[in-house]
Amino acid sequence: MIPKGAEGVRHLATRAVTDLIPKAADAYMAADIGLMASLIDMVAQDYDRAVDVLIADQNDIREIFQTALASVEDTALTARMSAIISARAASFRVSDQTVQADAAMRVLIDLHAHVEDAEPRGDPWAAPLNLRIWSFLDAHVARHAYESAF
Amino acid sequence: MTPREEELRTGLSAYLTRRWNAETHIESVGRIPGGASRETWRCAAMVGEARRGVIVRIDPETSLIDTDRATEYRAMDAAHRAGIPTPEPLFLEADLSWLGRPFSITTEITGCQASADGIPDAHRGAMGRRKWALLGEIAALDPLAMGLADAMPPTTLESCALEQVDYWAGVIAADALHPNPVAEAAIRWLRRHPPPPAQKLSLVHGDYRTGNFLYTPDGDIAAILDWEMAHLGDPLEDLAWSLDPLWNWSRLDLAGQLLPHQEAIRCWEAASGLKVEPAAMNWWRVFASLKGIGIWISSSEDYHNGASKQPILALAGWLMTDRQQRILADYLSPYSTHKFYEARA
Repeated sequence: MIPKGAEGVRHLATRAVTDLIPKAADAYMAADIGLMASLIDMVAQDYDRAVDVLIADQNDIREIFQTALASVEDTALTARMSAIISARAASFRVSDQTVQADAAMRVLIDLHAHVEDAEPRGDPWAAPLNLRIWSFLDAHVARHAYESAF
Repeated sequence: MTPREEELRTGLSAYLTRRWNAETHIESVGRIPGGASRETWRCAAMVGEARRGVIVRIDPETSLIDTDRATEYRAMDAAHRAGIPTPEPLFLEADLSWLGRPFSITTEITGCQASADGIPDAHRGAMGRRKWALLGEIAALDPLAMGLADAMPPTTLESCALEQVDYWAGVIAADALHPNPVAEAAIRWLRRHPPPPAQKLSLVHGDYRTGNFLYTPDGDIAAILDWEMAHLGDPLEDLAWSLDPLWNWSRLDLAGQLLPHQEAIRCWEAASGLKVEPAAMNWWRVFASLKGIGIWISSSEDYHNGASKQPILALAGWLMTDRQQRILADYLSPYSTHKFYEARA
């Protein structure tokens, strides 16, 4: 493993900015190196947090589905939610966790649309569930946010 | 000179000799940073003893946006003839025998820069007033009288807004590498809350923002660039895009890093003769961020699956998608603290 992975990767970005950009042959090359340094810095952020972010997303979505199963009557949708609740990623590798998180997210998108259809009809469970989904979306966006000076 | 630069020098010398009917020698070529939708080169052409600077925009192998060079050229040409400051379009060439890819050529505007980072604080206010006044002037033009009816897809006052939603929803559906629940929520919101019909059909620039115009050292806007997403539509589309918080991420108090939000709107209203209706504007603000996500998702798809591995495509797909999601969540979430408060016109 790379020792102190995130920190080690971030050093590469710093080196590119401080030492390589001043030696770039032209403005185009300097701009490209600057962009790559920003990207490397984002890789450093993901290196540290990726698995945690992906698992937190899945845990939140499963909890939402558990709540929704008590109210949603669409059998196709409930079957998909149940499948996600019981499924687990093949490993803790980021690639496997991403596949599972994406699968859960696709069902969540359909549940959110279903809830939005139910809310104007006055279904009493819909408004609180919609709020719960938005609470998750806010957390999801915050979890995935990058810090960047760019 | 690199092999690519030598290839361009030779091809352009031959091309301009033919088009200008005068022996022309390209003295220097240099690639311009940015310009993610086209390869953009600054070239010095010697025509006899006279030096002419030209900008050559070459179709890329892949780009942020799938754009139509003819539409871009026609829109810029029409705007130029209408008195809007743009580089003068010279040639549009589809024949691959010259440079291997289609290209367009405009006059070079010298002594200017485009970077938002380089704008002196003292010029921000005046530049901002000019920026939104120019956008208002574009909104006030009659695109049909300018001969653009056959250059762009037709639309109507009633349909233009949701047509744009359908277009960008299609881009997101086709190109997303991962599901995006915030973008999907925005698409549903936009369809459930359609805006009132457009006040008029305008020439919509499509990417009007700080960074897409050239300014002089004393702060005057010399030319509006990057017309590749131009189309007919609601002029509020351009206004909302120009005010998107993505363009002033580090200075939320100044729209486009230039001017307070409400002052920008007042400048636009005065120049366009149109009024900004808050509900319509709010709809277009949400749309602007959805369109942004569409562009960034598309660029990410290009980066992973396309021929080009330009880092700007990756940056758009990684960082800009993240920021645009944060803006959309701020607009739509019932828990929002409305950090991007200027969205509320």
